[in-house]
Amino acid sequence: MKFDTIIIGGGLSGLASGIECARAGQRTAIISAGQSALHFWSGSFELLGQAGGETVITDPLSHIRQLDADHPYRVIGADRLRALLGRVPGLLADAGLKVSGSLDANHLRLTPLGFMKPAWLTLSDYIALDADAPMPWKKVALVNIYSYLDFYPRFLAAGLAKKGVKCHMGTVNIPQLDILRRSTTEMRATNMSRFLTNEAVDDLAFKINEVAAGCDAVIMPAILGIFSDEPVERLRRAVKCPVWFIPTTPASVPGVRCQLSLRDLFIRLGGEFLPGDTVKRGEITDGRLRRIFTVNLGDMPLEADNFVISTGSFFGHGLIADMEHIYEPALGLDLNVSKGRTAWYDKDFYAPQPYMTFGVVTDEDFHPSFHGRTVGNLYATGALLAGFNALKEGSGAGITLATALHAASRITGV
Amino acid sequence: MENTKDYDVIIIGGGATGAGTARDCAMRGLRTILIERLDFTAGATGRNHGLLHSGARYAHTDPESAVECIKENIILKRIARHCIEETGGLFVSLPEDGLDYHAAFIEDCRKAGISAEELDPTEALRIEPSVNPAIIGAVKVPDGSIDPFRLTTANVMAARMNGADIMTYQEVVGFLREGTRITGVRLRSHRDGQEREIRGKVTINAAGIWGHHLARLAGVDINMYPAKGSLLIFGHRINNMVLNRCRKPGDADILVPGDTICVIGTTSTRIPYDQIDNMEVTPAEVDLLLREGTRLSPAMAWTRILRAYAGVRPLVADDSDPSGRSISRGIVCLDHTKRDGLDGFITITGGKLMTYRLMAQEATDLACRKLGVDRKCETAQVPLPGSDNTDDDRRRRAHIIELSTEQKAAEERHGSLTGRIASNDDAEDALVCECEQVSVGEVNFAIEELHVHNLVNLRRRTRMGMGTCQGELCACRAAGLLERHEKCARRTLNDLASFLDERWHGMYPVCWGETLVEIQFTSWLYEGVCGLDTDTASPIGEQPLH
Repeated sequence: MKFDTIIIGGGLSGLASGIECARAGQRTAIISAGQSALHFWSGSFELLGQAGGETVITDPLSHIRQLDADHPYRVIGADRLRALLGRVPGLLADAGLKVSGSLDANHLRLTPLGFMKPAWLTLSDYIALDADAPMPWKKVALVNIYSYLDFYPRFLAAGLAKKGVKCHMGTVNIPQLDILRRSTTEMRATNMSRFLTNEAVDDLAFKINEVAAGCDAVIMPAILGIFSDEPVERLRRAVKCPVWFIPTTPASVPGVRCQLSLRDLFIRLGGEFLPGDTVKRGEITDGRLRRIFTVNLGDMPLEADNFVISTGSFFGHGLIADMEHIYEPALGLDLNVSKGRTAWYDKDFYAPQPYMTFGVVTDEDFHPSFHGRTVGNLYATGALLAGFNALKEGSGAGITLATALHAASRITGV
Repeated sequence: MENTKDYDVIIIGGGATGAGTARDCAMRGLRTILIERLDFTAGATGRNHGLLHSGARYAHTDPESAVECIKENIILKRIARHCIEETGGLFVSLPEDGLDYHAAFIEDCRKAGISAEELDPTEALRIEPSVNPAIIGAVKVPDGSIDPFRLTTANVMAARMNGADIMTYQEVVGFLREGTRITGVRLRSHRDGQEREIRGKVTINAAGIWGHHLARLAGVDINMYPAKGSLLIFGHRINNMVLNRCRKPGDADILVPGDTICVIGTTSTRIPYDQIDNMEVTPAEVDLLLREGTRLSPAMAWTRILRAYAGVRPLVADDSDPSGRSISRGIVCLDHTKRDGLDGFITITGGKLMTYRLMAQEATDLACRKLGVDRKCETAQVPLPGSDNTDDDRRRRAHIIELSTEQKAAEERHGSLTGRIASNDDAEDALVCECEQVSVGEVNFAIEELHVHNLVNLRRRTRMGMGTCQGELCACRAAGLLERHEKCARRTLNDLASFLDERWHGMYPVCWGETLVEIQFTSWLYEGVCGLDTDTASPIGEQPLH
């Protein structure tokens, strides 16, 4: 099979570059192994939250000069970064995802444990607080679902109390969820969201109104709207005060929603999405990736003019560590990793972990190298790249999207 | 703060020996208090193979210990059934081991009263398919596995039911004395830093390796040499029976199945005394354990390693050797009146997990003699709480109601105490820890009844966070439940942060493959999504004061 562009990896990065290529009229395929980092997404994208030991709020792009010279943001450059990332809200809107936020200032998101963290874009039903303005509420209702264990009202209340917000805690139940409780492991966010439609949402809203009387807002776990906005909008219409959602432990409802929405947009644009498949090898000759082979297709090769590899870090199995080595399993690309496993980690869990910065080596245009030679028709994007600690920087989504859109624009010339 | 109660016995050390001694003392009607510096099983008790020795391991090198082991093995199968799994064990000879040891071994076992059945290698492979097919000889012995966490908790509960007081997170920082007599202890709390005094007629030092330091505080010298042993835990059970190398005891020669996992160990290295609170498994030890372990069972090479851990055996210098270099074999029960002219002070040490009950009996016998109390020891006859139902009870219950997997898991852990776990509705049955099947009801039971103040305590009582995800999804759920009892969000979040750090300490020595995948996911979830970081993580509770 022959495509214009093949993208290896169906997470945020792969989907973003796939959408841009397909939109430009390219015959595009995405090969996706399955779940990605989006499955534990918080509902917020981060651009740059920490630099030079400080929390970044205003003008995050001006802080990129504090990063190392080979950091992807520095390689792309502030101006181009602004242009590339400026397209993201529109791309998300095309997929049906409404976000708020700007490249000029971070806002704060409220985490499931009641902490505030800087963020760039946040889904419209999730909390995005202006760092300088007073809190928008005096008293909120923290509403949990009976027997649901992945929402922590007492930690949220402690966090909100620091900001002077009073919290009223309540629990609601609706009979439509009883079927989940019959099994001891089914009361999880994505499962509940499948049952919370139509009348179930009305019943839930009725119960929430009872608990939230006299409150300025309702804060509840993100358990609605896995397939569409409809249940969320229905709930917000029926509840007498604004409703905000807090992400839960995986699988996250906003994460699955985002993944499905972007995938559907890609398919609407004519893209070929190959789910449940893994690239097992490729043929690289004379500095070009000629074709690749997957587990499902066996000996039948996939060919393309250009390729993008966005298989993620260890979590996405884009990198694999055995007792002695770290390698990139799909194509065997050159890596920037420390030698010897004791150099992979720090003994303090909260210290910057070296393994977080490992990834493939690329040139300034994000072409990886293979046996020391640049592969000119291949781009590496997202968490597979080396040279940054996205967790400590609060930069994961920004790097993922910027490098994906950079690759797509180089490929399509748009 | 003053505890005005006057005790007959103060027992220092919340390992199996201390807990067993508290149980024995309380059963003999002594007014008893058990004091633990950190948490129960935080020392050597919680850091070994969990092997229910048949004694066969010692049959050749230390016949006396072998006899003690098989006697206690039979007693524990009676009194601590819910802590034990009678897996049986094999001693296998590999080509490099030869068969000389094998022949002598069978004879030594018989002499010690340990049933030792020689098996044809083909037969051994049939009953235990995970064993290295290259074996040239095999002997079946009554080894099994024992859960030291459960065993200690049951002893603590028994002590409490018999009237003993229990204190955790209280470190002995000094002794009270009148003339040549120890009359009590001065404690400092690891939770709030407060000091208090406790008075008692006899003080028993059952603090394992830390007993060396305690004795010095009391003004007497016991020379103990810390020997570190490292072990690896695998993500599932490779073997059904305990596997031993049939050769002189050496490194990585025992693979023990227990609960959902199996454990290979150990190494043995003398370490300086100032390192006993700093247990770290080195890369060289990991390599050695895997190299030798895969000789026992090749499947180990491709099985996920969950974590690595190490414990300290207290090797005690033999008083009869003036040079102090010889090590005592077996149990050491020191009457410091006779030995040092210090009254009201006993040290019980040496020994092993297998002989904890016998050690407790010896220490309690001595305490009773000092107190002029004449009561017989009954700890070998009376079952521990959790083991007090008969086989018939169990069978009848299983016949009437079909137990769910979660209920079976809980029953495995708590035996006849399972009935105390609330299971009134779906909310109490909901699982907190899916890997180990720990319900909300079980977590609440542990918090209310089993001296749980933090997540590490909870893990040791229930196995929450011990499974394949290493607390990734259950730690925050459990923190949510714990906070309802503790009512302090800040402290519980600190505790959650240090719990994850504690899990990491066992993971980094084996941080490759799926273990690395798991920890990266955990970091992203807690530090990324949830915003838990160093600012919130200030470890409490598990650090020693001195």
